[in-house]
Amino acid sequence: MSMENRWLLPEAVSEVLPPHARAMDLLGRAVMDLFWSWGYDAIDPPLIEYLESLLTGTGQHLDLETFKITDQLSGRLMGVRADITPQAARIDAQVLRGDGPRRLCYLGPVLHTRSDGRGGSRCPLQVGAELFGDASPQSDLEVIALMLETLLRAGLDDLHLDLGHVGIYRALMQEAALPDQDERQLFDLLQRKAMPELRAFLAGHPMSRQVAGWLWALPDLNGPVDVLARARTVLAGAGAGVEAALAELTRLAERLDQRYPQVTLHLDLAELRGYDYHTGVVFAAFQSGRGQDLARGGRYDHVGEVFGRARPATGFSADLHALYHAGRSRAAPAGAIWAPVAGEDPALEAAVVALRHQGERVIRALSEENGLPSALHCDRRLIWRDGQWRVDAWTP
Amino acid sequence: MPEAQLTLALSKGRILEETLPLLARVGIVPDEDPARSRRLILSTSQPHIRLLIVRPTDVPTYVLHGGADLGVTGKDVLMEQAGGILYEPLDLRIGHCRLVLAGREGREPDRAQPRVATKYVATTRAFFAARGQQVDVIKLYGSMELAPLVDLADWIVDLVDTGNTLRANGLVPLETLAEISARLVVNPASWKTKHAPVRALVSALAETIGTESAP
Repeated sequence: MSMENRWLLPEAVSEVLPPHARAMDLLGRAVMDLFWSWGYDAIDPPLIEYLESLLTGTGQHLDLETFKITDQLSGRLMGVRADITPQAARIDAQVLRGDGPRRLCYLGPVLHTRSDGRGGSRCPLQVGAELFGDASPQSDLEVIALMLETLLRAGLDDLHLDLGHVGIYRALMQEAALPDQDERQLFDLLQRKAMPELRAFLAGHPMSRQVAGWLWALPDLNGPVDVLARARTVLAGAGAGVEAALAELTRLAERLDQRYPQVTLHLDLAELRGYDYHTGVVFAAFQSGRGQDLARGGRYDHVGEVFGRARPATGFSADLHALYHAGRSRAAPAGAIWAPVAGEDPALEAAVVALRHQGERVIRALSEENGLPSALHCDRRLIWRDGQWRVDAWTP
Repeated sequence: MPEAQLTLALSKGRILEETLPLLARVGIVPDEDPARSRRLILSTSQPHIRLLIVRPTDVPTYVLHGGADLGVTGKDVLMEQAGGILYEPLDLRIGHCRLVLAGREGREPDRAQPRVATKYVATTRAFFAARGQQVDVIKLYGSMELAPLVDLADWIVDLVDTGNTLRANGLVPLETLAEISARLVVNPASWKTKHAPVRALVSALAETIGTESAP
């Protein structure tokens, strides 16, 4: 590498500079305060862990996303976390134990080996909340509501909520009883709503006409809430699992519609995001005119199993960078007070200390000569008038 | 609710000539002739629909990033595209051709590890991986047929329409990797957030080309 471009950052790695770093930090704090006010306890898991504990129960996708290094102390393989959710599941199952519902939240950097191919960063700042130990729809409702509150707090409007349920696809797959490889292919087709290929696939694989009909209908079962009524007709007879999933979605959609009339609801029964580990309701939030989701989550009841305890779990996460950029939640550059160079006047020092104590931003001159820099956004200055140090309005 | 704005990314070239009549049949006519206009964004007879005219290989990129809500591009381009999910609900039944493996007539590769020249690197790798055969893939941007003639490669993987260019250069198709046609692709976020107009357009196109696609 030549000397000139040594300073370049790796591909899809970014840094945040003033004034955005400060504004993003404020947003992060506001979100963590919001989680706190809902009863979620903050955790701060380590950036690296042994690979086994990072990746168990999470599927192949996360494995490929994880940077790996050898631990020089133990010779074992460690991973730099690509997702904090499995760490939260480990902490719930192995560290904190206990049987009641537990609410955990986090904010921290993760690393991805690959960019998502859409110009996404490989070093997102993941923020999220997880609710363990409750299998009822109430916890799904709570987590989705908290996700929406988070987005509203980030200053986002024109929100769309996408709801799905991987239990429906799971139930249909059980009926279809396909070999593993064919199932993966079908999964890919459904995920891409590739109807021409799906038709060929269904024609080329032995399964009952009824099951084929259900699978053919699945990618079409999306739209506003009334699609659930259509789904009940189309998927009639597909079994108790499908019925229960549809009933769950119906109740959830009703409640969410009541509480968040400003959010547009969209259902997609073929949405299989995170199918590797999700077990029930899945959801994602979108904003009009934005090509990617802003926050996502769902139920993952079995991830804790490998740590010795299968705890029901649901949660959501988002990239704080993405929320910040979508939300335009920028605080106007806060003003500051310009104060003279530190000297021998105890009254001046006391005035500066008092102002900073009040939460004011006080910037000291470093020499008598260097005047009043305009780049520091000082809108006031500390001057000696009428026998005391006073703050005066000031336009540089 | 006011009708959401839809942006369609169309592939330049041969696919475009066949796409425009299809769009015209569902009532979308560009305000200017794309073949003549120098504009890259064209308004249409439908105020809420506009067109982007881009290279076929760029269509998935525009749609993935949300720069366009929908796009029209060849299945060959989609097969080669990695990363990110696009919906591909419709075969538009235009731009038909085949992606084939071709080589010199009556010649077996003499290298232990055959070389394949292609523009479709990922597709070629996947094809030979599925056959369990190790090959070296050489990326070229055009005139693949030349590669076997100067012994740059043993085989080529390329699109074939009539097969005339192959024959003219003494090559024969050995195997078909895929039947190719143009697909309608949709950004998943647009599908969800602009559901009504997106579905309306997809259904109208499906009806026009007469497939029993998702209504």
